[in-house]
Parts: sequence; structure tokens; C-alpha cells
Amino acid sequence: MNKHLQIRDISTVEGQLTTVQENDLPQQRLDLKFMPWKPYTEEQKQSFACLLDEVNVLNIPVPKSKAEEEDLVNRFLTGMRKLFTTENNFTCLPMLQTSMDNCVQCNSCSSACHLFEMSGENEMYRPNYRSEIFRRIYKQYIKKEPFAKWRYGDLGLNWKTVARLGELAYRCNLCRRCAQTCPIGVDNGLIAREIRKVFSQELGISPKELHEKGTVLQSRAGSSTGMTSQVVKDNVEFIDEDYSEITGIEVHTPFDVKGADILLLHNAGEIIAWPENVAAFSVIFQEAGLSWTLSSKCAGYDGVNYGVFYDDAQLARIALMHMQAAKELGVKKIVIGECGHAHKALTVIADRVIPYELQTPRESCYVTLRDIVMSGRLKLNPARNDFPVTLHDPCNIVRLMGIVSPQREILRKIAPKFREMPCHGVDNYCCGGGSGFAIMSRNNIEEWRGNITGRKKMWQIGEAFKDCLGPETKKYICAPCSNCKGQIRELLAHNDLYEKNSFAYGGLVELIVNCMDNVNPGFIKWGEDE
Amino acid sequence: MTTIFYLLAYFAFAAFFALACCKIRGYLAASPLHVRWEIYPVPHEGKKAAYGGSFMENSDWWTKVRHVEHFYDILGIFKEVLLLEATFKHNHTLWFRTYPFHFGLYMLMGGSIILFFTVLAGLLGASPLWNPQEMEGFVTFIHNVLNSVVLIGALAIFGGGIALICRRMNDEGLAVYSSREHFLNIGVFVLFAFLTLMTWACNADYVILAATFMHNLLTLNFVPQESNLFALSMLLGFFVLLWIPLSNMQHLLLKYFMYHDIRWNDVPTQASVTNQNLIPDLLKKQVTWAAPHIAGDGTPKSWLDVAVNVPNKTEK
Repeated sequence: MNKHLQIRDISTVEGQLTTVQENDLPQQRLDLKFMPWKPYTEEQKQSFACLLDEVNVLNIPVPKSKAEEEDLVNRFLTGMRKLFTTENNFTCLPMLQTSMDNCVQCNSCSSACHLFEMSGENEMYRPNYRSEIFRRIYKQYIKKEPFAKWRYGDLGLNWKTVARLGELAYRCNLCRRCAQTCPIGVDNGLIAREIRKVFSQELGISPKELHEKGTVLQSRAGSSTGMTSQVVKDNVEFIDEDYSEITGIEVHTPFDVKGADILLLHNAGEIIAWPENVAAFSVIFQEAGLSWTLSSKCAGYDGVNYGVFYDDAQLARIALMHMQAAKELGVKKIVIGECGHAHKALTVIADRVIPYELQTPRESCYVTLRDIVMSGRLKLNPARNDFPVTLHDPCNIVRLMGIVSPQREILRKIAPKFREMPCHGVDNYCCGGGSGFAIMSRNNIEEWRGNITGRKKMWQIGEAFKDCLGPETKKYICAPCSNCKGQIRELLAHNDLYEKNSFAYGGLVELIVNCMDNVNPGFIKWGEDE
Repeated sequence: MTTIFYLLAYFAFAAFFALACCKIRGYLAASPLHVRWEIYPVPHEGKKAAYGGSFMENSDWWTKVRHVEHFYDILGIFKEVLLLEATFKHNHTLWFRTYPFHFGLYMLMGGSIILFFTVLAGLLGASPLWNPQEMEGFVTFIHNVLNSVVLIGALAIFGGGIALICRRMNDEGLAVYSSREHFLNIGVFVLFAFLTLMTWACNADYVILAATFMHNLLTLNFVPQESNLFALSMLLGFFVLLWIPLSNMQHLLLKYFMYHDIRWNDVPTQASVTNQNLIPDLLKKQVTWAAPHIAGDGTPKSWLDVAVNVPNKTEK
């Protein structure tokens, strides 16, 4: 398999296009294990287009006949045409159009991409590879520019091109670090998302974790976890009971308080996977004396909005449900919990999609927490956090919303051994779980996250703690975003880094509660304590 | 033939401006209001821009007056255009090749503008740049500056252009993405710069040739060019003018919008009544996406219909 791909290879190569193997991966300070790729089964190969690499996110069915092949290509082209109309894509058309027409192929974006770097510079991961294929299809088949074949080269569009391009749109974390570096203003992250939109909105092809088990389930049941309103209330009640005992504070999480100042919107995954995060928010808000509530309305208790990763219609539907939950309670503002994509979806993207009269102002929990910590309303004892702490910056909140300082103000106040990662703030790297991958594990996606996408984050963590690596010193990775935590959890577990390096990971609120004077000591647990 | 040459000149200028207007109009018409797609740092955040911060770092930001420091936006785009700051930061090797190329272009563009206004001033009574016998004072100074500008500019384009072509041919990464059009785009400029240099070297005074041509253009005086090399370089120049808006070199026209209207456009709806009024209109637009969860059943739908009607069953 070729690692030095040409553009035309996307259409011409038979079988799997490329591969990344252990010896391609850059070495680094932390001992990271290569996770061997599971080979495709014959059944998989016959049923689904396994044509790109070892990973298969979309499971595009293999066409059974020439007519089906042509149908796939034609439906894709129809979708592309719609993508370039104001009616179907007023949300993103100016950005897409300019990214199609203005790229000068300088490749300044390449070195910004953690996937390109950490795959050993495999051509497939160059941010421009996917974009240029899409661009050439656009110029040759949609815009039909004069002499397009001569000017750009004949791409030779066929069903393999379409299937590979769809899959290729899911070899990007949508962190938009490449867009930040582009001298022209071209956005390869946007292009990846637009390709995902064509597949979802026209062909009805999307990862089941984002669509069926994501936005569709959330619209129907209220949460992408499948938890109904009653289940959430019961679970939170259990959390309150457990953490009342653990913290020594009587915790009560309010639901559906009409006229409260704040609707706190968690990622519901926290309730299941990280109950300590939900409890910590409740402890802080309660002890700070805030007027706040959770909602039990459908989707009002789950800030997740996976539409932001692949589909504008689903994005709008979920955002509308969130806004309706807030309006119904009459709160003054929505405070979004530790979930990066929920921040961006509801605060930034929904801002020009949901009619203004249906909107309720949105604030990041980092800001609310900063105000609480700095106000002196909590009695804090930073000595309880006397261990090295580093901070992961979730792309959606930091690079894409410019919320950089509040979380640092908190850490400087409560964590005496706080240190930055290299490339922090708006220059951060994605955790590797961005754009929905943190919740996917099938078809080698977990291996891919371990081998390639999360590797740069592990480099940053290793560098941040380079003076205290090893099991002797307990260290805390503060990752105030649900998806990022999920990704970091798996990277640490797979590489035995809990034991080898005494790492713990968690959010910002856990660190705050850990140093609250009136809370029982030891809120944060390290491996051996759990 | 001489008349056709002059007509081509008028056509090239007119077509450039018409195509440029079409491109900009096309951009503005693509969407009356796109979603916010800002990326930080955003310069107009002032002090916060130093670390990439935004107004959303403030509690209850919607209750506070927004301070947008447009001066820093202007400064930011000037630094980017004049110094190619992003390329310098993120693609150092390329910057040493592309900066001379762009610097040369700026020199020739700036020189052309100065030439135009100096000739125009001559027509209005100032010392005539096109007539060496009558030229005097400040115009003589401009004449000398322009002769240097043309030489330095053309040399920079020629050198930078050759270096860019070599880089595109020899760099493994760039070679994959370099199409015929890339070589055509740069090659045309290199040839133009070469002809300009030859004209400069083979004639007594380049600026007099250029000023005479400009004077003839402005006075509709269609007389043949004294130098064939100059005429040839001008013909190539006409093609370049036409070609810019039709190729990826249109970033000359659209970069402003890609920075100001996309990357730095962080206007919250709360702060813009215009945007508040636009959203309901945009939601009335008809959607034709064919996936089952949108408009796959063929029923005409607006974006609003799509957003409020959530299918109850799983489609797949």
C-alpha cells in the first residue's frame, strides 16, 4: 500500500488505499503502545466499502451492480450541487465557496495538523488532501470550469472516489487548527464537515453513534445516552445521596425550578460516566448560593448536540430543544457544563440559526466558575491540590470561542503546581476524540484514536510533566470537556499510564471541590484510591 | 493593429473590475447571514487578542457594551497582506520564496497607481511625466523612483517566481498538489517580469515608455508603442489582469472577506438587530435535501419546518 499518495489514487487504486503502521509513528516521552489493527473480515469486505485504510466509520454499502455504482455517484453529485445553493446551505456557503476557490495549495496547513504529524506524515492525513479532491470534483463536475481537466488534472470520478471521500471526511477531528494557520483563510475543517453534510443530508449516510444513537435518540428519548427524564432524575438523586456521604455536604440538585437564574446544561454522559463531575457542580453552585436548576424536559438535561459534527438539520433541531427548555423555565441564562461541542453548538452556531426571540443567553461554566472562585464565596484551601496539574484546552471552547483565561485564573488560584502544556490556549491540539470519535470504538476506531489521533495530546501531557514522570508523583490532567475526558481516559488506560505515571484526569469542578475547606478531603481519586 | 492593442487595454481593465465586482457580489449573495465561524485570536478583541480571548470570557457578556477595536482588525489585515505574516509563522521555507514574489507584485501595483495619478496630474497642468524635455521638479523625482520600483519589483517577481516554481517541482508535498494551473499562474508572472526587465534594460527609459502609454490611454491617442518588448509585456499584463479573478489568485479580492467576514466575524445576534431580522427570513428558505430525516418524503419544507418537525422513528 502506498503512503505517498497522489490525488488521482483516490479513484484509481484497487483495494485499500493506504495504511499507517507502528514504525511510521513518531516516538515520544511517554511509553505508548501500538494497538494492532484488526483485519477486515471477508464479510465486512463484501458488505462495506473498506477502501481507505484500516478504519471504517461510515460503513458505506458496496454497490451490487454498475447501476448502483452510478446511482451512488449521481446522488453524491446531486448533494454537492445542493451544498452550493443558498437555499440548502445558507449556513455555510460563503465559507465553503471561498475555501473552494481561493486555496493556493501552499500546504501551510500540513504542519498544524496533529493527524498528519502523528501518522508519520501519511499523505492521506494532509489537511489539503481531502479538500483538494473535493475541490477538483467541484471544479470538474459541479462548476464545470473551462479546461478543468487540463488545469487541475482529470480526477476520474467513480463510486470508489465517493466512498473513499466520505470515509476521508471522518479522518479529521474538526479542530480547525489548520484553518487557524492558513494565510488565505481557507478552512479544511469546514470542508470535511461539508462533505459529512452531503453524506448525511443527501445520502442518509452517517455514523450511527452520531445519528441513530446520537441526535435521533436524543430527539426522541431526550438524551443520546438513552436516558429518559425520569431516569435522569433518579440517577441524579442517587448521585446526590452518594456524594453527600463522600463530601460531607448535604447535596441537593434542583430540577425544573421555574424562574431560577441559571439552567445548568450538562453533557448527560457525565451522569453515567463521571458522576463526580455532576456532584461537583451541584456542590459548588449550592455552596456559592446560586439560583439554579437542571431541566427534566426532553433534551433539556443533555447538552450534547452531535449535529454540529455532521448535519445542519439535526443541529438545529437539538439546539431548538435546548432553547425551548430554557424558555419554559424562564431562566436568565443557560450555563453550559464541561462539554466543548455543547458550548460551541449552542453559544456560537445556534446563535444565527435559532430565531432571536427563542434564544436565552448562554454562558460558559468556566466563566461562572471563575466568578465563584474569585468572589471568595467558597472557602478554598489550595494546599489540598498540592500536586502537579496541567490543563487541556478543548478546541471548541478555546480556539473556536476564545474562552482562554477564566479556567487559567481558577487554576492559578487553586492549584499551586499548575503548569501549561506546550502549545496551549488557542494553539492547543485536539485530544483526538474531537468531532464525535470519542464515543466510537468499532471497526478499529478505538485503535485509530490510540495510535494516531490521541498521540499528540499524549506528547503534550508528557512534556508538561516531564520533570515528574514516574509513579512517585501524583499528577492531574484537567480536561474540562466530556468528550476529551473520554478520549484521555482510554489513552491512559490502554498505555497503563495510571500505574506507570500516577495520572488522574478529570474536570475543573473536581479540582475546585477537592480544595474546598468544608468538603471531606480526597475528592479526587487516583488509581489505587478508587 | 495599434487600435486593437489600445482596445485590449481598455477591455482588460474593464473586465478586471467587472469580474472583481462579480466575485465580490457572488460572495455577498451566497448567504445574507452565515453561521458564526470565527476562529481565535480575533484582533478586534484588543488586549484579549494577545492570548486569543473573546468577549465570551466576561460573565453576562450580553448585558455589557461590546468594545470592538476595529483599528486592530485593520492592523491585522495590513500585517497579513504586506508581510504575509501567517506564511512567515507557519511556512517559513515558503515565505522566503513567496514574499519576494508578492513584494514585487506590490511594487509594480503601487508603481502603476503612482504612474496613473502622475500622468493624470500632468494632464491637469503639472509637469508631464511622459515628456523628458519638459519634466521637472517633483515629477522628475517620481520618475526616478518609478524606474527603481520597476527594476526592483520585476527582479523580485522574477526571482521569487522562479524559486516558487522550483519549490513546487521539488518539494514532495507541494508537487502532489501543484497542477498545471499553478505553474501557469506563476509562469505568466515570471514571463511578465522577464519582459519588463528586458524592456527596462533594452530601452533608454522604461518610465517614459509606460507614462507615454498611460498618457495615450487617457487621451485616446492611439499611436504605436516605441518598444515592441514593452508592447509584448503589456499584452501579457492585460492577460494577467483578466486571469486574476478567474483563478485562485482571486484571493487578492476575497482575502478581506475571508478574514473580516468569516474568521473575525463574531457579532452575536443579540448585538445586531439586522441579524435578528434576517434569521426568520432565512429559515423560510426551501430545503431539498433528500435524506429521510430531512425532505426525503418529497413534501416541500422550509428550514423552519425541518427544525420543528422531528421524525419520531429511526430512519435507518
